[in-house]
Amino acid sequence: MVDSDKKQFRKRDFLYVIPLWLLSLIVPDADDLYSFRSKEFKRRELFYLGALLFVPLIWRDPHFHHLMVLAGIYAILALGLSLFLGYAGQISLGHAAFFGIGAYTTAILTTRYGFPPFLAFLISPFVAAVAAYLIGRPILKLKGYFLAIATLGFGEIFQVIVRESTVLTGGVIGIFDIPFFSIGGFSFDTYLKQYYLTWGVLLGLFLYSKNLVRSKMGRAFLAVAASEEAASTIGINVARTKLGVFVIGAAFAGFAGSLFASIMSIANPEAFSLNLSILIVIMVILGGMGNLYGPIFISILLTWLIDILGKYQAWSLPIYGVILILLLIFFPDGIGTRLGIRLIYLISYWSKKKRRDEGKV
Amino acid sequence: MDSWTYLPQLLASGITVGAIYALVALGFVTITRASQIINFAQGEFVMLGGVLTFFLLKDLTPSYLLAASMAIGIVVMVGFLMYLSVIYPLRKAPMLIPLIATLGASIFLSNTSGFLFGTLPKALPPFSGQQPFQIFGVSLLPQSLWVLGATFLLLVLLYLLSHRTLLGKAMEASSTDPLGADLVGISRNRMVFLAFGVSAGTGAIAGILITPIFFTSYNSGTILGLKGFIAAVLGGWGKNTGAILGGFALGILEALSVAFIPAGYKDGVAFAILLLILYFRPKGILGSPFVDSRRW
Repeated sequence: MVDSDKKQFRKRDFLYVIPLWLLSLIVPDADDLYSFRSKEFKRRELFYLGALLFVPLIWRDPHFHHLMVLAGIYAILALGLSLFLGYAGQISLGHAAFFGIGAYTTAILTTRYGFPPFLAFLISPFVAAVAAYLIGRPILKLKGYFLAIATLGFGEIFQVIVRESTVLTGGVIGIFDIPFFSIGGFSFDTYLKQYYLTWGVLLGLFLYSKNLVRSKMGRAFLAVAASEEAASTIGINVARTKLGVFVIGAAFAGFAGSLFASIMSIANPEAFSLNLSILIVIMVILGGMGNLYGPIFISILLTWLIDILGKYQAWSLPIYGVILILLLIFFPDGIGTRLGIRLIYLISYWSKKKRRDEGKV
Repeated sequence: MDSWTYLPQLLASGITVGAIYALVALGFVTITRASQIINFAQGEFVMLGGVLTFFLLKDLTPSYLLAASMAIGIVVMVGFLMYLSVIYPLRKAPMLIPLIATLGASIFLSNTSGFLFGTLPKALPPFSGQQPFQIFGVSLLPQSLWVLGATFLLLVLLYLLSHRTLLGKAMEASSTDPLGADLVGISRNRMVFLAFGVSAGTGAIAGILITPIFFTSYNSGTILGLKGFIAAVLGGWGKNTGAILGGFALGILEALSVAFIPAGYKDGVAFAILLLILYFRPKGILGSPFVDSRRW
């Protein structure tokens, strides 16, 4: 009796151990933050890096390259917000405004003042960070919902200013013919080159944020997210920490905006609306709070989803809304978070239920 | 000099718009008082009220009253359905997630309405008479009086509901002390369910009142919802009286701003007011029972 039970269990083992092992290779997990196992960590990162390097060379479809460029830009945005929302626990619904500030800085500097794109790329995040500093000083004392609403208000004010100051920003029509990104005469004019540019920038920012969250300041983010009072009693300057992470997130958005402007060659207010802010927040939530890999994966997933939905024309936005709600209902902790453990729980529940139904337990 | 002569006229239109903001703000407050959830799809209820009445009046029935009450009924159903499909499954999630989910519901509702009823802006005929009349040198549309009268009536009804009935008190109890409400046998989920119905109905009435004056299109709900939210924060988050005061104050301030700055910045004014009030007095004008509590 016992033997046959064991055999049954082993046979069934393969059914989920193999898919789970494959999933655990691919799917990022927030628990990595606390249980640092260097060997597994490096293997997984090498896998990601290899996939990023070689997949676009193997799959030579320009549309796929273009989608991945967009996904990379969203991923930079989501990475910045992940530090602010996922690590420091502060809500921002105005992140698209910093994205817009970055894009418009690049657009105006290159088309109106003839700056080289690379220089504009370096100035844009700085401008976004300064804007974040000025905005963050007053509003970061707010908490929870009120911070969300205040940042949302900032995003809307940015929209109004961009629409109305036609001389500088071109109003509703926006700015066209922004030159492609180029360094020393090498122009990034094909989708493949833009892919490597975007994901190269993303990789740099990713390494930066990965080191940041393991630094003293990164631990302070987590402490502030857990409890501001407790954090301040152990000597963390809460206001400075929150402002710091807000400015860093905005600088990331500035990088993304600059890339967006010089890759799409266009900057118009529609691209930086509340919908984008919501999309980024959803990327961070579904990616898992306090997780750097998750938002990047979800940004690829959602970009791909939006592209597929685009084929259904008028249906696309209603379906998009429904899918977002369903994802939030079924994965409120993020899609990747403890996926392996949840699957094992589910499978063991099913197998126990079957045995219970057979009257064996 | 020139803009001062328009001031009374602007004031009158500000009060009319303010009444609508007050109704939208009341919708927010009704739900918050029951559950501490912010429902960002509130503006979509307003939009649906106007668009559905237009549609029913055109295709189904010539009677204005019948079309309006059917529209209100449908929107209340939408509110109930939204609670059951979006809020109820997320009742145990952290507060950010229902907030984002209601934003998702708002995307769904506005775009479905655009898909079903067309994206063109719609206008209902006024309740009575097109001819504006003069009071103290200010020309008023009869519809403005309808808006003010209906708003006042609705405010009285909501006041009676929340202060004079057992149901209203139970709703308030389930918000201020969830555990205590559970202990005395109040079903919190049912309270939130009812609050969604009440708030959807209020929103739909606001939509029907405003559509004869302003055009309502499938995407006008979002901005109206945000303005209503600002009104609720301005007056004092979580208070009925605060929502009403904030609504009128916001409407008047916005209308007066047109006299002094370019009209394109009008939407920005509301959000600038929001940032100022959040910075200097997050409690709002009348103070709020929720701010300074452990959540905020």
